[in-house]
Amino acid sequence: MSVYAVNKICYRVTHESALRAALAGSRQDRERALDEASPPLTAEERQALLAGDVGKLSRMGANHFLLHQLGRWKLLDLDLPAYAERIRAEYRAERRAWGLGGE
Amino acid sequence: MKIVGGLGVPHTPHFPALVAQGDPLGREVDRLFTEVRCHLRELRPDLLLLFTSDHYNIFFVESIPIFSIGVAEEAAGPSDYPDLPRYDVRIDSELARRLQAELVAAGFDVGMSQEFELDHPVTVPLGLLCPEKDIPVVPVFINGLIPPLPAASRCFQLGKAVRAVLERENGGGRVAAVASGSFSLEIGGPRISETSHTGVPDPEWMSHVLRRLGKGEVPELVEDATSEQLTRAGNAGGELLDWIAMLGVIDAGPPVMLESQEAMGHSYGVWRSGDANGRAGQ
Repeated sequence: MSVYAVNKICYRVTHESALRAALAGSRQDRERALDEASPPLTAEERQALLAGDVGKLSRMGANHFLLHQLGRWKLLDLDLPAYAERIRAEYRAERRAWGLGGE
Repeated sequence: MKIVGGLGVPHTPHFPALVAQGDPLGREVDRLFTEVRCHLRELRPDLLLLFTSDHYNIFFVESIPIFSIGVAEEAAGPSDYPDLPRYDVRIDSELARRLQAELVAAGFDVGMSQEFELDHPVTVPLGLLCPEKDIPVVPVFINGLIPPLPAASRCFQLGKAVRAVLERENGGGRVAAVASGSFSLEIGGPRISETSHTGVPDPEWMSHVLRRLGKGEVPELVEDATSEQLTRAGNAGGELLDWIAMLGVIDAGPPVMLESQEAMGHSYGVWRSGDANGRAGQ
């Protein structure tokens, strides 16, 4: 499965202030903006984006440089600390094996 | 044209604010950039050949070229950080077009970009190194971020081919090659630090690169910089390819300056062509 549609949303937020406003706006604004995505998001991708579930999106193969733009621009209830914490939480086991994050 | 030297610097978007704030880290960044800038001024370049990796700003939707040369007459930026100082960068468009054509003729499949904005990896270091903005630039984009990345050996050869083209250019002119990038950096991925959305996932590689550069062991470094190693160095670890291309242009020996902020994955290096005492050729 390609997550290009997710990556493209994350690419666009840096260059489209209207999309940023929508994804920082009401639930309705967020849903509408995601429904207008081209190519379309899958139901699973749409749900993960609305939930700010960047750990899941990461596991689905989303590009991290692009994904972290959601935190940088404070979209979908994320900011950079929240973004980073969710990524760390998602990879806690791997990070322990890599010697990152301690106990 | 004459290749008078080369330099490499990092490009964190927060540098201008850090320097303006003047806290200890800002003062260190300011000192390092000032030192590189002084070398650059002494080199008296008429042109900056700038190797950079687009950060998913120009290249993502339409295409992702492995190599491309910016041939517009000017480009504004940064495209990705509206709070950073925005300015126009003058490009030597005619030379850029000749360079692209000559490289293609020499067997390097380099594309061209005719209309684009530059992003922070160009505008941040350029603003700190050349605040007068009086030296035209030829930007060479190397895909150091979006897998698959080009091989280090190919980037090194590209640098050598660029050198050959520029040395055939008539009419004099002094060229300095500039590389923008880090050696080990993870942005937003699983190997970030405990305290930030970034991290330095392979500090040993970083130290290794610095040792190689310090000894002038560039061909050895090119050999060490395998695709697997660049991946281990983080999702921005491929920015080393910009340095490797720069080193190919200048036919590098040991640097006259090499300092690093290893905890941040950042390095600052200067190479000067000419005699062994490190004085620029006249």
